[in-house]
Amino acid sequence: MTDEPLLSVEGLTTEFDTDNGVLTAVDGIDFEIPRGETVCLVGESGSGKTVASESITRIVPTPPGEVTGSVRFDGQEITSLSESELREIRGGRIAHVFQNPQDALNHCYTVGWQIVEAVQTHEPDTSEEEARERAIELLNDVGVANAAARLDDYPHEFSGGQKQRVMIAMALVTNPDLLIADEPTTALDVTVQAQILNLLEELQEEYSMSILFVTHDLGVVAQIADHVVVMYAGKVMERGTVEEIFDDPSHPYTRALLECLPGQARSAEGIPGTLPSPIDPPDGCRFAPRCDYAVEECTAGDQPPEEPLTDTHAVSCVHYQQGYDPSTVKTEFTQEDGTVTGGVSGD
Amino acid sequence: MGMEWYIVRRVAWAAIVTFIIVTITWGLMTAAPNPQVQQAVTQAAMDGENPAEAEERMEAQLQLDRPLHVRFMDYVVGVYTLEWGWSNTRNQPVTAALVSALYYTVQYSVPWTILTVLIGPIVGVYSAANQYSWRDHAATGVAFFGYAIPNFFFGIILLLIFGVQLEWIPIVYQTGVPVFSVQNVIQLTIPIFVLVTGSIGAIMRVSRNEAAEYANADFVKTAKAKGVSTYRIYARHVIRPTMVPLSTTMVGYLLAIFTGSSLLVEVVFGIPGLGRTLYDAVVAQDTNLVLGSTLFFTFVATIGNLLQDLVYTVLDPRISFEDR
Repeated sequence: MTDEPLLSVEGLTTEFDTDNGVLTAVDGIDFEIPRGETVCLVGESGSGKTVASESITRIVPTPPGEVTGSVRFDGQEITSLSESELREIRGGRIAHVFQNPQDALNHCYTVGWQIVEAVQTHEPDTSEEEARERAIELLNDVGVANAAARLDDYPHEFSGGQKQRVMIAMALVTNPDLLIADEPTTALDVTVQAQILNLLEELQEEYSMSILFVTHDLGVVAQIADHVVVMYAGKVMERGTVEEIFDDPSHPYTRALLECLPGQARSAEGIPGTLPSPIDPPDGCRFAPRCDYAVEECTAGDQPPEEPLTDTHAVSCVHYQQGYDPSTVKTEFTQEDGTVTGGVSGD
Repeated sequence: MGMEWYIVRRVAWAAIVTFIIVTITWGLMTAAPNPQVQQAVTQAAMDGENPAEAEERMEAQLQLDRPLHVRFMDYVVGVYTLEWGWSNTRNQPVTAALVSALYYTVQYSVPWTILTVLIGPIVGVYSAANQYSWRDHAATGVAFFGYAIPNFFFGIILLLIFGVQLEWIPIVYQTGVPVFSVQNVIQLTIPIFVLVTGSIGAIMRVSRNEAAEYANADFVKTAKAKGVSTYRIYARHVIRPTMVPLSTTMVGYLLAIFTGSSLLVEVVFGIPGLGRTLYDAVVAQDTNLVLGSTLFFTFVATIGNLLQDLVYTVLDPRISFEDR
């Protein structure tokens, strides 16, 4: 194993040509996914995290979408690949699991048919028999009870959690190096959510995969992430290890998100204001219009460059530049019961 | 219980429906004055005989003096044993007249139906895959043209151009040519073309809109993320759910054209098919033949709807067989 990250994304930009103008959903973001680790892409709805995750293998519809920037996967630049070369990577070495398992399976075909299709897409020589054997194994592996008998059932005969298990089984067909999971638990109820998260963690070990996990749920992040990338309005606000993000949250946006967790100061009202328009974003820091600590410099020029705090921790905020005092934004967290801490994971 | 039981019940229901239709037509016919009796009465009155006697004599001759239930049983048995009576204008049994008409109707109906069922959905899905491209706009233009222009009018125009001006096709349909011959293909091309342009428009539009909806469905994204090719995504993942609402439109629409527009087209091109037969029978007041053609169209419609319901359950496994 090399030290090179499995996936490294640089300047990834995804634009959509709409009737109202060019919509920039993802605006030049960088991040890396180390081998065997889990990176969480975090942000509120509309921050561009889903589009970013779907831009990696270009499953965003193009046109109207256009993806630019560099995506290096296992040492290979994949943005310049042709559609047919990309197809080999999609579902081959990079697999996807999506948010809403209710609609993610085709209701006209049995789950067995759909898993067999995934097998035969990447290994055309596999016979129907072998592919079905593999499907049964995988369904067993993801915890679908009585897999052999359920193979010829239709998606509507499965519960939401079971459907998500089927989706995961389908993603594992080719033993991928990277699993991109886009809010895979959001549509499920809480107990099922925990089961799916545990399953993903087990499978990550078993299949030695990296996972890119897209979510808005910081509780989930705390459970599974190794690294966290916080996105807002198409830009990266802060990145760091999970400990750094929870113990030393530095960007006002990250801090505001954490304050929205249950038991924290903003848990009831959330962050005031709304996301800026992706067609005509504000100058300066994207978060400045909603930021409690915004100063004049925050609303001019581009998004501030990322200031490294440690080897792994960086923040894109004016207050961390030279000549500013970070302590202005690092006010203490007030909990609902009045206790005051420096971070939210404080015990 | 599964699909087999559903099919059995659905077929049984179709049989009941045809029986109800047969009963109603019999009721109407029995209630209406019989033209032959009327004629005999008129004749008797004019010849100075007793009209009431003449009426009785004619009714006895036509076996109308028997009790109602006997006549009804006789009629029902006749319908189901294909004894549909004698056509006075054609001087042959009604069934024979219908069979000889069907011979010509089938010649253009079969290719027309196959072409519509094949081309309509394929062009529609292709349009959806290339939404708002010039090809999509061209297909939409053709669809609206075919949908808007009356079939018989379009037929007359084409007949004027290709029959009268260019003399490529015979102006009057030649019944004498063999079915599988170049001449027959040539003379049927224009009628089939007219019918296809008429029927394909609605089907293209419905399949385009349905397919466009499914093209953005989550399961299509899943298929793409699996590495499935765009062609296969449309050919397998999009067409299948598209066919479910489409099959309703298609059967209803084809039946409407089969019974309505085909009549006009047959009249325009002079094809002695079923539509023409019904039309002539109505004009000549040939009751048995009118009844026979109507029954035939009714059976076709019932069978069409039956097929549609069966196709449904095959296409969309979510449709439950239990409560229907």
